Amino acid sequence: MSNERLVTVTVNGERRSALAEPRTLLVDFIRHGLGLTGTHVGCEQGGCGACTVVLDGELALACCTLAVQADGATLQTVEGLAPAPDRLHPLQSAFQAEHGLQCGYCTPGMLIAADDLLRRTPDPTEQEIRSHLSGNVCRCTGYTGIVAAVQTAARNLRAQATETRGVTAS
Amino acid sequence: MSIVGTDRPRIDADDKLRGATRYLGDLKPHGLLHGRLVLAMDAHATINRVIKDAALAIPGVVAVLTAEDLPTAMEGPMRQFEPLARGEIVFQGQPVALVLAETEAAAEDGVEAVIVETTSHAAVLDLEAAIKPDSPLARIRQIGGEMEGSAAMHVEAAGEGEGAPAPAAAAAEPVSANAKGPHRQQHGDATAALAGSEAVVKGTFRTSWVHQTYMEPQGALAIPEVDGSVTIHSSTQGAFYVRGMVAKLYGVDVSTVRVVGAPLGGAFGGKFNLIDPLVMGAALAVGRPVKLQLTRSEDFASGMPASACILELELGGTKATGLTAFRSRILLDQGAYGDWAMDGAVPVMIGGPYRWSAWDSLSYGVTTNRFGTGAYRGPGGPQVVFALEQLVDELANKLGVDPLELRLKSAAVEGDTGVDGDPWAPVAGREVIERTMQHPLYKKRGSLPANEGIGVAAGVWMGARFPSAATCRVDQDGGITVVTGAVDMSGTNTSFAAIAADTFGVPIESVRISYADTATAPHAPPSGGSGVTYSVGQSIRLAVEDAKEQLLDFASDQMDVAASDLEVVDGMVRPVGSPDRGKSVAHFAEQVTGFVATAPPIEGRGRFAPGNPSPSVACHVAHVRIDPATGEVETLDYAVIQDVGKALNPGLVRGQLQGGAVQSIGWALYEELQHDEYGQLLTGSFMQYAVPRADRVPNVDVDYIEVPSAIGPFGAKGIAEAAVMAGTGAMANAVAAAVGSRIRELPMTSPRVWRAANSR
Repeated sequence: MSNERLVTVTVNGERRSALAEPRTLLVDFIRHGLGLTGTHVGCEQGGCGACTVVLDGELALACCTLAVQADGATLQTVEGLAPAPDRLHPLQSAFQAEHGLQCGYCTPGMLIAADDLLRRTPDPTEQEIRSHLSGNVCRCTGYTGIVAAVQTAARNLRAQATETRGVTAS
Repeated sequence: MSIVGTDRPRIDADDKLRGATRYLGDLKPHGLLHGRLVLAMDAHATINRVIKDAALAIPGVVAVLTAEDLPTAMEGPMRQFEPLARGEIVFQGQPVALVLAETEAAAEDGVEAVIVETTSHAAVLDLEAAIKPDSPLARIRQIGGEMEGSAAMHVEAAGEGEGAPAPAAAAAEPVSANAKGPHRQQHGDATAALAGSEAVVKGTFRTSWVHQTYMEPQGALAIPEVDGSVTIHSSTQGAFYVRGMVAKLYGVDVSTVRVVGAPLGGAFGGKFNLIDPLVMGAALAVGRPVKLQLTRSEDFASGMPASACILELELGGTKATGLTAFRSRILLDQGAYGDWAMDGAVPVMIGGPYRWSAWDSLSYGVTTNRFGTGAYRGPGGPQVVFALEQLVDELANKLGVDPLELRLKSAAVEGDTGVDGDPWAPVAGREVIERTMQHPLYKKRGSLPANEGIGVAAGVWMGARFPSAATCRVDQDGGITVVTGAVDMSGTNTSFAAIAADTFGVPIESVRISYADTATAPHAPPSGGSGVTYSVGQSIRLAVEDAKEQLLDFASDQMDVAASDLEVVDGMVRPVGSPDRGKSVAHFAEQVTGFVATAPPIEGRGRFAPGNPSPSVACHVAHVRIDPATGEVETLDYAVIQDVGKALNPGLVRGQLQGGAVQSIGWALYEELQHDEYGQLLTGSFMQYAVPRADRVPNVDVDYIEVPSAIGPFGAKGIAEAAVMAGTGAMANAVAAAVGSRIRELPMTSPRVWRAANSR
């Protein structure tokens, strides 16, 4: 315990610090150090994607990253997706409507990975969606609802972007 | 207003999508000790000594518990009654010791420092060899006592009583003490019926051990209370089940154990009292809260997966009348513990959804040094379907009839004698098969490019018939609160809300589904066996009806209108035909919940025991493409056609059927817990144990039909397990169509497919 370090991150836009041992995994730091338990532990081996977060703009498996490696970094977790307590992110709304979730355990990692895809590829094909989410295991849905949800969210986000551009132009 | 039958979001979706749901791993009571397991390295050994000193010297390590430290009151031949190895290690990965520490890291360090000294014994792994009279025993010390509840429960859910004890003449095969059985079902003269059939086919089939692979690993937390009782928070399918079993194991009264079901991060049959006995015993031993959640590798190594089988099957049929008779011998690897072994049920299940004139069907449960048998979605089903449905296709081919035509001719209907000797309950096999014949994917099978194939198969799950109870309270604001002790599995609470809203006549927003623990809830069965909605859903409907009747009695006095002339619509109580004379439910509820009232509060009760099953039949249609150069199988398209009775929430029903289909694809192509010749697990992580991923499976088309049950709520049948049954058969038939020869071993991996493709 004596060799704990202070790790400071900007998580979901907020600057936070907590102590972590050098061997503490980023996922345990996020869950127990920062109290953000939406990020889940599914395998601790980088094999299931349940712990997926965004680390300095790139997808990262928080179970294969040490907390000290994230010192000074910017993190996004599922808690940072919804714009307000009474509103959902378009991806979250689409997952809700298309039944892209059942037990919910893979869902936060799945949402983070899907959000990353739509930022890079606003109009993905079904194959692009399936390929991008292939590191995230879902055992409940069979993926059909998840793929449909990402397609719906992509459509809604593109429509939003068009509206915003329209407003800006006028 | 009809909420039942309407596609609506899950009531727990918002929390889950925000990451706000508190799973077991998110609970951290004051004074918590973290547990980590020392797992056996031998597959079979005697424990000479467990050296704890080095572990106990690590700062933060509080205790190292072995079987002697757990205050159990009894023993029995089940894993649940042997939370830590007692003298004999019976599989690699078996928990031998439990290290408790102030931090998870210290517990992990402690595990590394514990030394288990053993004397190794021969590992019994080969099923055929294991039952030979001269086989070494997988378990040297035989444990007395009967199997309890658990295995019987799923045998029951599969719709089959324990196989009738074999007549002495039948048990001609000499077997070792590793073999349990034979369980035998016999009717008519199978030999004569097979001889009299126009065509006969037979084969030997092998299936693999398969892990449930719920995304949230197993876990539980036990908190000793000041009054001497223990509260267990558990990622479990059955809170009342856990309470009963741990109380029995530790010899305490059930009233001193309170079990709170945590939100399930997937279960699929696998979450039944695996960790609870460990944390309960540890908490009793050290007097502090103890939490144990397995890592993924621990879960693969020490969980309770689904059994491998060897199935010998022979069946016959005629062109005019369809299937005639079958003979089977099944060896079911129950591993070191048969907690949920289906050896008694598979001789019945292998008859499928068909009518037979004669059969001779037997099985042995075989004790080996691999895991123990857990329940996994439709236990026994994927194994028997793999054998039966391939042979049905072969027989159709031999007879020169369409494979679905043969199945249609042979489909059992109500009153036909089942393989267990009981008459079939109402069953819609014919309707499902007829619908499948019309499915565009099935119709495509004649016009495919080379190396592609479409296969079809049928399956049935009878469903559990648990008794249950529920209550319904009318709240001051006119909303209703339904109290259930059934843990929400696969969206059952969302369906309960729809049932309650429609039954009472309030908007769904006014319905609260309150999960209560074993201290306060009406009795609830485990969420499993496809029996939750079937039974608890009906208890809830009855409780809500009771509450509504009470409300209308009170309103009748107040409004001076006969109760029979009142209705509740959209939260308003009104005389039939005079919607403008309505008063809100809240108006009446307030009057019976204040400080002074002329009538008691409204509280409805519902109790239900289904009695009879409402089997659900499903057909799967799979379209695959083979790469003959590598043997790789690509699943191009997939359809599920299933009778669901009534889709209470179509979106959730589709999700169940799609999820089941993809789990079948996993059984068919990817999943296998492999051991080496010493019984060492070779596939103990997601790197070696392959589950279907998004890029390996297609969208699953769902075409359900609704042939209402006379028993389930609103006509609903249990659906989740029927949804997984037919897949191994459909995939195998598709692969056979693409390859041109048959693969009789699961999973159908690339090397196996390549060999089949290149040995034509």
